[in-house]
Amino acid sequence: MKKLIIMGLLAFSFVSLGILTTGCTTQREIAAQKSGAELWAQNCIRCHNIPSPPSYTDVEWETIGLHMEMRANMTSEQITKIVEFLQAAN
Amino acid sequence: MIMKKVLLLLLAVLLLGGNMMAQESKPGKTQFMVRGYGFAGLNYLNNADGTDVSYVGSAFAPIFMFKQGDRFFFEAELEFVLEKNQLEIGLEYANLMYVLNKYLMVRAGKFLLPFGTFMERLHPSWINRLSSKPLGFGHDGIAPSSGIGVELRGSAPIGGTTINYSLYMTNGPTLKDGSVEPDEAGMLNFENYIDNNINKAVGGRVGFFPLHNNSMEIGASFFTGKPGDKGSVYEDVTSFLWALDFSYVQQISALKGVLDIKAQYNHSQVSDAFYTAGEEERDTLPDSYTFNNLSSAYYGQISYRPSMLESKFLKNLELIARYSQLSTPEGSLWEAETNELSFGLNYWITWRQVIKVNYSFINTEGGHDAPEGAGNQKSNTLFVHWAIGF
Repeated sequence: MKKLIIMGLLAFSFVSLGILTTGCTTQREIAAQKSGAELWAQNCIRCHNIPSPPSYTDVEWETIGLHMEMRANMTSEQITKIVEFLQAAN
Repeated sequence: MIMKKVLLLLLAVLLLGGNMMAQESKPGKTQFMVRGYGFAGLNYLNNADGTDVSYVGSAFAPIFMFKQGDRFFFEAELEFVLEKNQLEIGLEYANLMYVLNKYLMVRAGKFLLPFGTFMERLHPSWINRLSSKPLGFGHDGIAPSSGIGVELRGSAPIGGTTINYSLYMTNGPTLKDGSVEPDEAGMLNFENYIDNNINKAVGGRVGFFPLHNNSMEIGASFFTGKPGDKGSVYEDVTSFLWALDFSYVQQISALKGVLDIKAQYNHSQVSDAFYTAGEEERDTLPDSYTFNNLSSAYYGQISYRPSMLESKFLKNLELIARYSQLSTPEGSLWEAETNELSFGLNYWITWRQVIKVNYSFINTEGGHDAPEGAGNQKSNTLFVHWAIGF
């Protein structure tokens, strides 16, 4: 049973990587061109409601950004764009 | 003369004040903030023992965050809880983190384990849509929530999608051998912060966002280690746990709102071992007994918030339904089959403040807390909670 699970997990990882590495260019371009506002609206809501920019100061958003990069498994690029958007809209 | 002194004093205050204001407006490299959450409310419980109705206001969880430069981060969460008229303080987590590069960070200390997503991301009272945890988490749960050790984790965009990963090593769980509580023999205890053997537990999770808008996440986790005390007959006992998690959150125009679906399946297998029956159990069990130590738990939750409606009142309402189930090993003294069906109606006062009205039906067959021959036990709970994140 344990071997089956490990093989299943490995298969899942390989299939995921296979899909990812052959991912279509359009999807890649869409993802790369996303603005901070789009990323803010699409990612925060995965766990909690979308926070409004004035909820924290510009400096606090930087701290929260690093916290969320770790806790919510967001990429460095995504979190940088979101923090820049929140600071600009604050 | 006096006038001159007053003027000099005023000037000094102005200069000092101006300097302080200038320092405040120019952020330094060290940033500190306190966040956290808490709740208050009313709990109603009805079961075979009777009815209990109590106000609760017993949870306060401050989170301290220190950011030093762009790469160092420290976070710690305390939990203040009132238990039986006593204040209990717990350290939920406390860890240091360093960003190695844009794809990898390392952290060490006590941290929430990425075993699925519920305990790491969704359990705080202002995030959890219901007032209770699904079966299988928390006290007597089969899913680990935190550990002390070291972790590598990160996230990377690949081909328009995103993958995230974590690999960690902790002191690991301990095995309850029944010497203290015979009816819990074979259970894993995850609240183990001083290692009981030289074996370290290893775990990890891979999460994948197949859609470019990150609305869907599929994850797989594992956690394995030897839980037995060093030098005991349980030294070679092994444990292997795995979990699958799913999340889909999307604002859908046709539904005029946000649909949120979450699910997690947890599986726990501990290798065979012989346990000693307590005096009370020797009428029904041999002195030494064993069983297939296999447990599982899962939950599925769906919620809907009509956030695109024009009515300010209606757009802040949220409907939730959750089903969860927990199965513990057949033949053990803690053998039980429990299921829970919960419904909720929430009202969001702000994005981080909610009033939750939740009703749950819980059915349990067996369990080490149940009186002998109790059969199927039913209980109903009503929670009315006001939760806040800050």
